[in-house]
Amino acid sequence: MTNVAAWRRFDHLQLLLIAMLSLLGLMTVYSAQADWGRQLLWLLLGACAYSAAAAFDYRRLRAVAPGLYAGMLLILLAVHLVGHSALGARRWLSVAGFPLEPSELSKLLLVVVLAAFLSRSEGVSWRSFGVTLLLVAPPAALILTQPDLGTTIVFVAVLFGMLFLARARAWQLFSLVFAAGVAVPLLPYLLHGYQRRRLEIFLDPNQDPLGAGYNLLQARIAVGAGGLFGQGWLHGLQGQLGFVPERATDFVFAIFAEEFGLLGSLVLLAVFGLLLIRLLRAAAVAPDRFGELLAGGVFLMILVQVVENVGMNIGLLPIAGIPLPLISYGGSAMITTLAALGLVQSVALRRREVVLGDGALGTITRRAQA
Amino acid sequence: MIQLGGVTPKARWSMRLVAAASLAVVVIGGLAVKLAQLQVTDGVTLAGMARANSVHRVVLEADRGIVYDRHGAPLVSNSPVWSLEVVPAGLLLDARARSLELAELARITGQPEPQVATLLAAADPYSSVDIAPGLSEEQELAINERLPQLPGASIVRHAVRTYVDPLVFGHVLGYVGPLNDADLKRLRKLGYQPGEVVGKVGVEAGLETLLRGRNGWADVEVDARGEVVRTIATQPPVPGDSVYLSLDASLQRATAQSLAAGLVRDGKTAGASVVIDPRTGELLALVSLPGYDTNLFTHGISQADYSRLINNPDRPLLNRAIAGQYAPGSTFKMVTATAGLQEGKITAATLLSCPPYLNVNGWIYHNWASYSLGQMNVAKALATSCDTFFYQVAAMVGDVTLAKYARAFGFGQAKSIEMPGVMPGLVPDSIWKQLQCGVPDLNSDACRWTTGDTITFGIGQSYLLTTPLNQAVYVAALANGGKVMRPTLLDAVRDASGREIQSLHPQVTGTVPASADNLMAVREGMREEINRPYNMNYWFRAAGVPADGGGKTGTAQWGGSGLDLPTHAWFVFFAPYSQPEVAMSIFVERGELSEVEAAPIGVQVMKFYRDNVGAIRAGTI
Repeated sequence: MTNVAAWRRFDHLQLLLIAMLSLLGLMTVYSAQADWGRQLLWLLLGACAYSAAAAFDYRRLRAVAPGLYAGMLLILLAVHLVGHSALGARRWLSVAGFPLEPSELSKLLLVVVLAAFLSRSEGVSWRSFGVTLLLVAPPAALILTQPDLGTTIVFVAVLFGMLFLARARAWQLFSLVFAAGVAVPLLPYLLHGYQRRRLEIFLDPNQDPLGAGYNLLQARIAVGAGGLFGQGWLHGLQGQLGFVPERATDFVFAIFAEEFGLLGSLVLLAVFGLLLIRLLRAAAVAPDRFGELLAGGVFLMILVQVVENVGMNIGLLPIAGIPLPLISYGGSAMITTLAALGLVQSVALRRREVVLGDGALGTITRRAQA
Repeated sequence: MIQLGGVTPKARWSMRLVAAASLAVVVIGGLAVKLAQLQVTDGVTLAGMARANSVHRVVLEADRGIVYDRHGAPLVSNSPVWSLEVVPAGLLLDARARSLELAELARITGQPEPQVATLLAAADPYSSVDIAPGLSEEQELAINERLPQLPGASIVRHAVRTYVDPLVFGHVLGYVGPLNDADLKRLRKLGYQPGEVVGKVGVEAGLETLLRGRNGWADVEVDARGEVVRTIATQPPVPGDSVYLSLDASLQRATAQSLAAGLVRDGKTAGASVVIDPRTGELLALVSLPGYDTNLFTHGISQADYSRLINNPDRPLLNRAIAGQYAPGSTFKMVTATAGLQEGKITAATLLSCPPYLNVNGWIYHNWASYSLGQMNVAKALATSCDTFFYQVAAMVGDVTLAKYARAFGFGQAKSIEMPGVMPGLVPDSIWKQLQCGVPDLNSDACRWTTGDTITFGIGQSYLLTTPLNQAVYVAALANGGKVMRPTLLDAVRDASGREIQSLHPQVTGTVPASADNLMAVREGMREEINRPYNMNYWFRAAGVPADGGGKTGTAQWGGSGLDLPTHAWFVFFAPYSQPEVAMSIFVERGELSEVEAAPIGVQVMKFYRDNVGAIRAGTI
C-alpha cells in the first residue's frame, strides 16, 4: 500500500471528529479542574495507540483472538486478586506505577474477540450462539463482581449488538431479551448496596436529595443552568464551585452542558453522531466480515457509552460509572477508545476497492477469507 | 506518483447496519430532545437553583468584650442562645411536602403556621430568615433532632449579653440592643449592619467602640437546599476588648445594699450613691436605685415588662447617679464658705450671728432652727449647718462670684465619664435667670435676680441643681486640696490577646481658686459636723467606725418656695481626714432628714470600705 493510496483511503473525517472531541474533552477537563496536563499525556499516548492501530493490519488480530481472550480473563482476574479499591469497588491495577483500569481495556478486547468468533461463519448458528454466551459469561461475571455495573452494561449491549450485526436470528435475539427480562427482577439481589441505591434513587431522585440523589440532582441542575448558550467556558457556577460530583469523569458532560449550553451540547452530540455513522461506514466498506464486525463492535461500544453517560447526566438513565468517550478524564478509557478508533481506521484503510484503468498503479486489497 | 485506479465502490450498507445507524440517530436524537427540555424549558428554574447553590457570605459574630470590675470579676457574660433560621429557597420544592414542612416548622417553634408562612414568603428566598429567635437549650436540642427532615432550616448560635446582678450593676453596665433606624444612620459608616447589636445605655454604650469586636466572615458554598458544602475562605472574628472598670464589685454591692436598706428603713423608694477616689477620680461605686433587670433587654423584653418599667413612678430607668438633678441644699455650704474665705469677706475666725431668720427687703428667710444659735465661726456654721450664717456670707460674696466658685468645684458641668446621659446640673446667676424667664417684663420677679435668690443660692437652694456624681467630684476636690478630678469608670483595657492597650491616667480638669488654708478651714467644719456628739457622731459610734474624715448633710427643698416643701436628703463625706482616699455622695430622693436618712447610709458604706480596704485596694488588673 503506497503512502498516497493510504492517504486517499484514510478516513480524514473520522480523525477530524476525534480531534474535535478530544479538544472539547481537554477544555472541559481543564474547566473541571482535573489534572489536564496528565490528560494531555493520555491523549498523546492515545494518539500513538491510534496511529499504531491504524497502521496495524487488523486482520492479524483474528489469529491472536484466543490469546487476547485469555489475556482479558487474566487481567480481570488480576483485579480481583491484587487490584486497588476506589469508591468501594476493586477496579484498578497498578502497572509500573500507573493506575490501569482493565475493565476499560476489556471493552475493546471483548469487541475484538466477538468479532473474531462471530466472523468465523456467515450468520449465527444456535451452537455458535451458545458458545458466544459462554465466551462472554466469565469476563462479564468478573466485571459485575468488581463491581462495575457500567462496564457490565457495555458488555451486554455490545454482545447483543454484535449478535445483531452478525445476523443472529430473531429468536436468538428474543431469547437474549427474555433472559434479560428474567435477570432484571433478580438484579436487586445481585447488585451491591450502593448500586441498588443508585437504581432506587434514579427511580425517585427526591427520595434522598442530599445523599445518593445529590449527584443526580446537582448534575441535572448544572445541565439546566447551561440554558441555550451556556454560562461560558470556565464560568459554570455548578461546575466551578464543585457542586457537580465526579465532575471530570462520570459527570463531565454536566460541566460541558453548563458551560456551553444547549447549542454546545447539540454540537457535541452531533459530532458523536457523525463519528458513529463514520464507524458504521467503515463497517460497510470493510473488506471482510471480521472488519465489519470489528468496526460495528467499536460503534456499539462508543454508542452505549455516549448514551449511558449523557443519559445519566441528564437524569434519563440510572447512574452507572461509564466515562464519556474522548471527553472524560482518565487514561485507560482514553487510550482504549483511541486504540479502538485506530482499529476502525485500519479497517477503513484496508477496504475493498474496484480498480478502474491502470490496475498496476492501483492497489487491490486482497479479499480476506471468510 | 499519480494514483489513477482504486475508486471506492459504494459502501455496502446492509439492513442491519442501516438499523444500527438509525438506532444511533434515534437514541442521540432522544438525548437531544431531553437536553432541550432540560436546558430551555426547565433552564430558568434550574439556573435559579444553581445560583442558590452558590457562595454565601456568612457573618461570624465577634464576641463582645467582657466588662470586669477592678479586680477582674466579670460583670457580664456572653451566653449562648439559639435561633432557628430558614432559607426559603432551601425548603422542599414539592408544594405538598413544602406545606407539611412549614406546618412542622410552625409546630416545633410554637408559632402560628400562617405567620411563619408569611414571614418566609416575604423574605429574599436566598437569605436566612430568623423564624424563632431565643430558643431555650431544650428547644434547641429538640429541633436539632428534627433538622434532617427539615431541609433549608438550621440552628444558629448567637451570643447574648447576660449581666451579673443587674439590680446592682445595671445602671453602670447598661445594656445592648438591636440597632434602630437612627442608630443605623449614625453608625453605618462604622460598618454596622442591620440586625447587629449596639450598646444603648451605660458603659455598654459609652465604651461601644472598645467592646464591639470586629465580625469575621466565611465564604461558604451552600447548595440549593441551604446546606453548607464547603468553606472557601474565612476571616476570623476579632473579639472586643476586655474592659476593667474602676468599680470594686464588693463595694458596689455593699453601697447598693446600704442604700437599699436605708431607703427601706425610711420608707423611701429612690436614691443614689457615688463613691470616688479623690486622688485619682476613679469611681469605686456608682449606684442608682431603683435598678432594673437589664437582662430583660438583651433576652427579649415583653411589652408588659417594658410598660411596667416605663410607667413605674419611681422611674427605674433613670440613672440618678449621673442624670438625676437636684438642689444640693446644705451640702453646698462649703462652696459658699470657700468663696467667703477666699474673697476675703470672712476669715476662719470671723464670727457671725446665727439668728432664727433674716429679713431681706421684707422677705423672711428662716434658719432650720427657730432659735438663735449665737455667734459662730465658719467651721461651726458648717458643723451646725446654720442657714442664716451662710445667707450673710452669700450676700457678701454676691451671686456672680458664688456662681464662679460653684463652677470651679465642677457644679453645672456634665462630667465626661464612660457612659452617655450624664447631666450637668445647673449653676444659676442673674444672666441665666433673665435668659430663661420667658416673660416680657424683665423686671418681674421671674426674670430679675433678687437678693433672696443670692442668699438661698448660698445654702444650695434657689435654682441650683447638682447630681450625685457632681457632688462626689466636689467633695473629692475639697478632700484632695482643690483638684477637680475627671471622674472615670475605666481602669484598664486589654485587647483579645490580653495586651493592655489603655490604662488609668488620672486627670485634673480644674483647680479650685482657693488657698490650702482656706480649704483646710472648710474641711475643719466638715470634721466638726461628723463629730458632733448625740448627732452625727452617733452613727459612727453605732457602726464602730471612727469619725475620721469630714462630712456634710443637706436637706434640700424642691418644687418651689415656701415653708413646707418636699425635700431630698444628701450626705457628702470623705475619709480619712488627713490623707483622704475615699469620698462619696449619698442621695435619698424625698428624704426628709439628711442626718437620719442619708448620713447612716454613708457610714455603712464607709464601714464596709474600712473593713475591706485591703481587698478593695489590692492590686488592680
